[in-house]
Amino acid sequence: MRLITHNMLQCHVKNCNDNNFPLRLEEVEVELVEADFQADFLRNILGKLEWEALVNTAVQVGNTSLPATIPDNAADNEEFLKVLHNALLETHIQSGNMVCPNCQHVYPVKDGIPNMLLAEHEI
Amino acid sequence: MSKPQPVAVSTPNENEKAYEEEHVHKVYQTIASHFSDTRYKPWPVVENFLNSLTPGSIGADVGCGNGKYIGVNPKLCILGSDRYRILVPKQSSNLISIVQERGFEGMVCDALSTPYRDSTFDFAISIAVIHHFSTPERRLVAIKELLRIVKPGCPILIFVWALEQSKFSKRNFDRTQQDVFVPWTLSASAKPSAEAKDDLDSEDASKQIYQRYYHLFAKGELDELIVNTGLADITSSGYDRDNHYVIAIKK
Repeated sequence: MRLITHNMLQCHVKNCNDNNFPLRLEEVEVELVEADFQADFLRNILGKLEWEALVNTAVQVGNTSLPATIPDNAADNEEFLKVLHNALLETHIQSGNMVCPNCQHVYPVKDGIPNMLLAEHEI
Repeated sequence: MSKPQPVAVSTPNENEKAYEEEHVHKVYQTIASHFSDTRYKPWPVVENFLNSLTPGSIGADVGCGNGKYIGVNPKLCILGSDRYRILVPKQSSNLISIVQERGFEGMVCDALSTPYRDSTFDFAISIAVIHHFSTPERRLVAIKELLRIVKPGCPILIFVWALEQSKFSKRNFDRTQQDVFVPWTLSASAKPSAEAKDDLDSEDASKQIYQRYYHLFAKGELDELIVNTGLADITSSGYDRDNHYVIAIKK
């Protein structure tokens, strides 16, 4: 699971509707996998990210390279786009847990695959 | 060789989830690898839909199977999900493991309750999934869930099996019966995954025929369900390759 996917996830336990995003990473094993750099793709995706969540999540996996806010010249700032590319598309969570900040539900990640299934009583 | 023919069944009035577990999930877990080998050619309507989207769009493929649509347009970012539990890590018979091995993003979740934020995606697709839910209520919930996760003004594309199937012979198939089991025959070389095989009926297992539950949609039925959500406007609908499909825009 790449960080771009994590940025789209929230806890979906029944009635857990507030403060249920972003899921906190715990005991994660991270792998960096090189991916083709596509500046256009990154420019288009910028407005779709929850930026603060991405920055905080990157810090949780030891990546402190993202700025606190998106730079004004982001679209033309290749250095920034490369840093973003690395965090968003090349950083893979291979194993660990994702924990809801609200209800503390734990979603495990194994072999790079998050298991987001809930038990019957949680739906 | 004769084509597989459906058998009419009556759907349960309670424990629908357990029914689907038995007659959909376990079967797919068993046939996953063989199923995946037969699913490589994208359907043109889906391909055209994906190629019409703006580069950099993010979407969800809910019930992505082996992920055959995830790589169709490399300028999109598609998050795939499917229902099959991870029984044995890295075992290739698991559909989501197959997605992962192809280098795509896949996760395990149920189409009735996905873990995505509200109004997040630029599009969502559900290809050959919703016909596996055994009641009208559950089929409606699955459609509402797709509409929850896309942004207002953004499209969803849904494909379901049609009652009007060209491959079912009239001799064997009663056109008034919409709830059916459709057999999947494993080829001799394809081996079911052991842990799932044990759970299936032993006689069927020895014949290597696995029965999957389908609700076959009548013409107009998918459109009506989407209208009934009150959440979307239909922009196009049609019939293609024994399926009904609808593209609808979230209000």
